[in-house]
Amino acid sequence: MDFKFSEKEEKLRREIRQLVKEELPEGWLIAALEEESRDEDWQFAMSMSKKLAKKGWLTMHWPEEYGGKGASMWEFIVYREEAAYWGIPGVSMGVSGVDWVGPTLIRVGTKEQKEKYLPLIASGEPDGVWCTGYSEPNAGSDFANIQTRAVREGDEYIVNGQKIWTSAAHRARWCWLAVRTDPNPPKKHLGISILIVDMKSPGVTVNPLLNYNGYHIFNEVFFDNVRVPVENLVGEEGKGWYVLMGSLAFERGSVGAAGYGYCRRILDELIKYAKETGLIKNPIIRHKLAERLVEIESLRMIAYETAWKISKGTIPVYEPSRDKVYYDQVAERLAITGTEILGAYSQVDPMHRDSKWTKLRGCIESLYWLFPGLSIAAGTDEIEKNIIGRFGLGLPKSY
Amino acid sequence: MDFSYSEEQEIFRKSVREFLKKECPKDKVRSLEEDEKGYDPETWRKMAELGWVGVILPEEYGGVGGEFMDLALLMEEIGKNILPSPLLPTILCSLPILEYGTKKQKEEFLPKIASGEEIWTLALTEAPLATYEASGIRLNARLEGDNYILKGTKIFVPYAHVANYLLVAARTSEEKDPEKGITMFIVDAKNPNIKVEVIPTAARDKQCEVKFEEVKIPKDNVLGEVGKGWEIIEFILQRGAVLKCAEMLGAAEAVLEIANNYAKERVQFDRPIGSFQAIQHKLADMLCEVDGLKYLVYKAAWEISVSSPSKLSISIAKIKANEVYQQICISGIRIHGAIGFTMEHDIGLYFRRVKASEYAFGDSSLHKEVVADELEKYKPPNPWKEE
Repeated sequence: MDFKFSEKEEKLRREIRQLVKEELPEGWLIAALEEESRDEDWQFAMSMSKKLAKKGWLTMHWPEEYGGKGASMWEFIVYREEAAYWGIPGVSMGVSGVDWVGPTLIRVGTKEQKEKYLPLIASGEPDGVWCTGYSEPNAGSDFANIQTRAVREGDEYIVNGQKIWTSAAHRARWCWLAVRTDPNPPKKHLGISILIVDMKSPGVTVNPLLNYNGYHIFNEVFFDNVRVPVENLVGEEGKGWYVLMGSLAFERGSVGAAGYGYCRRILDELIKYAKETGLIKNPIIRHKLAERLVEIESLRMIAYETAWKISKGTIPVYEPSRDKVYYDQVAERLAITGTEILGAYSQVDPMHRDSKWTKLRGCIESLYWLFPGLSIAAGTDEIEKNIIGRFGLGLPKSY
Repeated sequence: MDFSYSEEQEIFRKSVREFLKKECPKDKVRSLEEDEKGYDPETWRKMAELGWVGVILPEEYGGVGGEFMDLALLMEEIGKNILPSPLLPTILCSLPILEYGTKKQKEEFLPKIASGEEIWTLALTEAPLATYEASGIRLNARLEGDNYILKGTKIFVPYAHVANYLLVAARTSEEKDPEKGITMFIVDAKNPNIKVEVIPTAARDKQCEVKFEEVKIPKDNVLGEVGKGWEIIEFILQRGAVLKCAEMLGAAEAVLEIANNYAKERVQFDRPIGSFQAIQHKLADMLCEVDGLKYLVYKAAWEISVSSPSKLSISIAKIKANEVYQQICISGIRIHGAIGFTMEHDIGLYFRRVKASEYAFGDSSLHKEVVADELEKYKPPNPWKEE
C-alpha cells in the first residue's frame, strides 16, 4: 500500500495551480454545472477549453494518436480533482464530448468518425461541444423504454421523437443520440442504436428547461423528420445498449475525484469564513466542520480506490455508483452545513455572485440549490443503489 | 498511489483468518464471555507462537520485525471474527516501551511480551468522566526516597485481572497545563496493594476498575521522563485509535456480510427479502459506509507505518469508525428482524461491542475537537498568493 501521489503527479498539480494563477481571477470559484447557463460564463469556459487543449490537458486521458496525452489514470484524477477544486471552467465542454463521446468513438468508432470528431473535441473547438440525448419523457431511470425512432431510408436515418433533460443542448454542435431502430425487439434494451446528429440539421428544435433557480442547464430537444447519414451510426445497429454499457464504468471513473475536489474547496472556503467571522469557536460549528471533513476525506479515499482499480486494468462494477451516491450525500450535508454557517445570508440568490450581500461568491447557495439535481442527474441515487445491490452485493434484481 | 496488499500481507491475512476460524468459533466467543479469565490461555500461547504479539517488535526482542500496517491488518481480521483476548492492550504497552524505554527496560520486558509469557495492559482513564483528556489523569504519584507511591483509581482497564504488568499514567506534579506533570509507570500488577474488580460490561470483555492503595514503585520503573508522560500517552492513543479502528472495520465488514447473506436466504412474500428495495438500499448504504471507512483506516495506519503519523488522519478515521460500526450493527439487526434481537444470533455479539470500541482511545466528540483544532491551524492552498 502507498497513499501518496508520485512526483510526476504532484508536478502536474503544481502546473495546474500555475494555470489557475495565470488565467483565473484571484479567489475564483464557480459552482458545478453553471457554466452553460449564461452567455458570458460560457464564452469564458470555451476560451479556457482552448487553453486546456493547448496544454494537452483537455483530453489527457485519450491516446496520443487521437489528440490525447496518454495520461495515466492518476494524472487524470489529479487533473479532475484540481480542476473541480479551483472551478476551472471549460474542463468538460458541455460534459459529453470529453468524457464519453470521445472515449467511446476511440473504442468503437469508424476511422472516418474518429478523424472527423475527435480533433474537434481535443482542440477545444466550439464544434467539439456535444450534448447527449438519452432521457425521454417516458424513459428516465427506465432508459431502455426510449421511443425516439430512427427509420432507415436509403443512406439516411429519419429520426422522430423527443429528448428531455438534455444538458448543454443549447450549446452543442452535435448530439450523441440514443434512438430505437427496432420498434418490436424481443427485449426492450435491444433494438437501440447510437447516432451522431448535427444539431444544425433541419427538424432539430431545442427548447430551454430552466431549473427552479432560473439556470439554463438542460433542455427539451425535438426531432422532426431529421435526416441523419448512415455513416453517423456508432457501432452496430441495434447494439446501442452495449455501446453505452461498455463505457459507462470508465466514464464515471473520475466522478468521485471531481466531487471530492469541488466539495473540499467549498469546505475550505467555509473554514476560512468561520475563522474570519469567529464562528470557528462555536462548538456546534466546529463539530459540523469536522464531520464534513470526515465525509469528504472518506469520499476521496473511495474515489481513489476506484481510480486504482481502473489503473490496474480492472473494470469497476459497482464502485462508480458507490462513489456517486456517496458524493451526492456528502454534497447534500455540506450544502446544509454551509447554509447554517452563512445563516441568513444563505438566502441571497446565487445568480447574484458579486452582490454586496453575497458571501463566498454564492458557492454555498449554488451547491444548496444544486444538490437535489446532482442526486438525480446521470442515474438517481435510488438507481445507483440498485446497481450497488445487484453488482456489489450480489442481491436479486429489485425492480 | 497503491491500494493493494503486498503478497506477504495477503498470506498473513489468510493465515490469521484460518487460525481464527479454527481457534475461535462463535460458541467459543460466547463461552469466553462467561469465563472468569475472559480469554483462552492455550489460544494465547498459539497466537504468541505465530508472532502476533510481537508483530512489530524487532527480532532482537523476539519479535517478527513487521510493520504497523501488518498490525492493523491483524486487528481487522480479529474484529471480523471477534477474538476475546488481551492482545491489543499488551501490544499497546509494548510499543511505548520500544519507543521510550531504557535499554534495560526493553531487554527486561519486550522478550517476555513477544513470547506471550506476560500480559500487559494500559491504565489510563479515571472517574468521573473516563475520557482521554489530560485533565482526567488524577491518580497521584509522590516521590519517597527511591520510590514513587501511587494512590488512586483507574477504570475501564482491559484485562487488568489477568495482567502481569500495568502501564499506568499518574500525576507527579500539579501544573497549570494539565498535559504537564504526568508520568508513566511500569507497575507489577501482582502488587498486594492493587485491587482489581471486573466491571460488568455489555461486551463482557473484562474491563476492570483498578485501585492503587499506596503502591510502591521503584524509580527505575518510570517509562520515559518524569512529568513528560503526556507525549507517551498521545503516542499510545494514536496507535491505539488506529488499531481499534481496524478492529471496528473488521467487525463492520463481518456484520455487513452476515446481513447480506441473510437478505439472500430469508424468504418472505415468496422471494428473498434482499430483492426488496427497502432492504437492498439499506445494504447498499452499508456497503458505501464500510468502504468509506476502510481506506481512511488504511491510510492512517499506513502513515504510521512510513513514520509520518497524522493526528488529523487518525481522528478522522476514529470519528468515521465510531459512526459506521454502530450504524452497520443497527441496520444489520433491522434487516434480520426479530432473530437479530436474540442471544443466539451472532449479530448481537458485534452490537454488544459497539460502545467499548466507541469510547476506547477517544470518542467522536474528543476527536472532532482534534479535527477542529487542526482546521483552525490549516491554511488552504492559494496559488494567487504563492511565489
